[in-house]
Amino acid sequence: MKKLILIATLLASPLFAQVEEKVEVPYVAFPIKMGKGFDAIQTHCLMCHSFGYITNQGRQSKKFWRGKVDKMVIHFKAPIDEAAIKATTDYLYEHYGNGKLK
Amino acid sequence: MKRRDFFKKAATIAGAAAVGTNSAKAGITQQPVDTRKVSPVAFPEKRPLIMYSDRPPLLETPRDVFTSVLTPNDQFFVRWHMPDIPTHIDVDTFTISVNGLVEKELKVSIHELKTKFEQVEVTAVLQCGGNSRSAFQPIAGGIQWGSGAMGCATWKGVRLSDILDRAGLKKDAQWIGFNGSEKAAYYETPNFIRELNLDELDDHVILAYEMNGEDLPYLNGYPLRLVIPGSYSDSWVKMLSNITVTNEYKSLFFMDIAYRVPDNDCECETPEKKVEKTKPIRKMNVKSVIGYPTKESFVSHKSHLVVRGVAWDDGHGIQDVLVSVDNGKTWDKALLDDGKLGRYAYRAFRFAFKPLTLGKVTIMTKAINNIGKEQPFAKDIKWNHGGYKYNGIDEVTVEVI
Repeated sequence: MKKLILIATLLASPLFAQVEEKVEVPYVAFPIKMGKGFDAIQTHCLMCHSFGYITNQGRQSKKFWRGKVDKMVIHFKAPIDEAAIKATTDYLYEHYGNGKLK
Repeated sequence: MKRRDFFKKAATIAGAAAVGTNSAKAGITQQPVDTRKVSPVAFPEKRPLIMYSDRPPLLETPRDVFTSVLTPNDQFFVRWHMPDIPTHIDVDTFTISVNGLVEKELKVSIHELKTKFEQVEVTAVLQCGGNSRSAFQPIAGGIQWGSGAMGCATWKGVRLSDILDRAGLKKDAQWIGFNGSEKAAYYETPNFIRELNLDELDDHVILAYEMNGEDLPYLNGYPLRLVIPGSYSDSWVKMLSNITVTNEYKSLFFMDIAYRVPDNDCECETPEKKVEKTKPIRKMNVKSVIGYPTKESFVSHKSHLVVRGVAWDDGHGIQDVLVSVDNGKTWDKALLDDGKLGRYAYRAFRFAFKPLTLGKVTIMTKAINNIGKEQPFAKDIKWNHGGYKYNGIDEVTVEVI
């Protein structure tokens, strides 16, 4: 009986099942600029996404970065208070800004 | 609050950020960035690809892969929205649930999908709506993809309509919500759910468990994903776990705010004056990408070069691919493959070119589809805030030596 079940299983999955064990996605340390407000970034951004998500947005205006932080709070429900929102936005604009406020 | 501690993960690997964006003239759409190198880090079941983020994983296929109709699974691009992707799925116990406005709620296993429903295949292009976003100036919000946030595969599975028939739609059923298994770091974050109107769902829409003759790769949505030929990939929900039928549209972030373009004829706006009324990006426009040569290729003077690439649209089908080697002054037809993989697949093209002058030469390709739509020059593509739906004439500049 056991043998029959085994054969049935083999017939049902003729393909190579790639996910037989836990898959590890590699952790990558993306280079990021140090400076005032970095602590806020590390605390509030890294919870949900890598620094790659920040550095690969390209240089952006202060309004853009504030909008991104707001999106994380409003839509993604990230628990970031007003002081941290400001610190995060200031850091992003200083290091990944395009020099324009809007 | 914290779902898991991500920092316990494997040892740090030197970061290979794909930093770098277009720095060309403001306000004029350029060619997408074409200088990024593959990362030294290989992700599960993948060769090293261009990497933008490890969590959620964002991986781009390099240009030189786009010379044939099917994109290999281990080079197929990857894009997730949430950081917590199940790292193990037991295919023997996994089920997809169908509920809401149905006569009979279903829980269907992968085995049942493979044995109790008609098996169908479709070859279709999967392209991110933000593919080539780095072309836009000023820089549009979002990951600054080059041209490789796309691929084409043969998907095997069962028709969505067959599953809905089995469950039996109630009379007032109108919207179908699709839910993946990926989770955010915070419980409060909304799930990645897509809603599609019944009118948009034809018999070509399938739930696929197989990609190019293999199980779906983990990072492409194992064990089951939605396949919507002709549509951008934002609705091709991965690790599909739940289908809910409703009679009214629910307001959702990923439907109402993300993946939308201005609701006007040009689908365009300016950074100073954004258009308030928007619409989903939905169907793909006509586009071609050159796979060979690339800007790293050695091209010899008077050699017999064969330019190769792929062209596609939303299913109307490709009529012609035109090639120019004189900056768009004159165009010649490329040879198209037989197209036997269907109207949603890439059409591979090739074009014989003997470079008779030394120095730089720019190869351009322009696809035209069966309803006469053709690719515009990059500079003629107008801006939108999300940097969606770029489809400029592709260019590769090589040095003839």
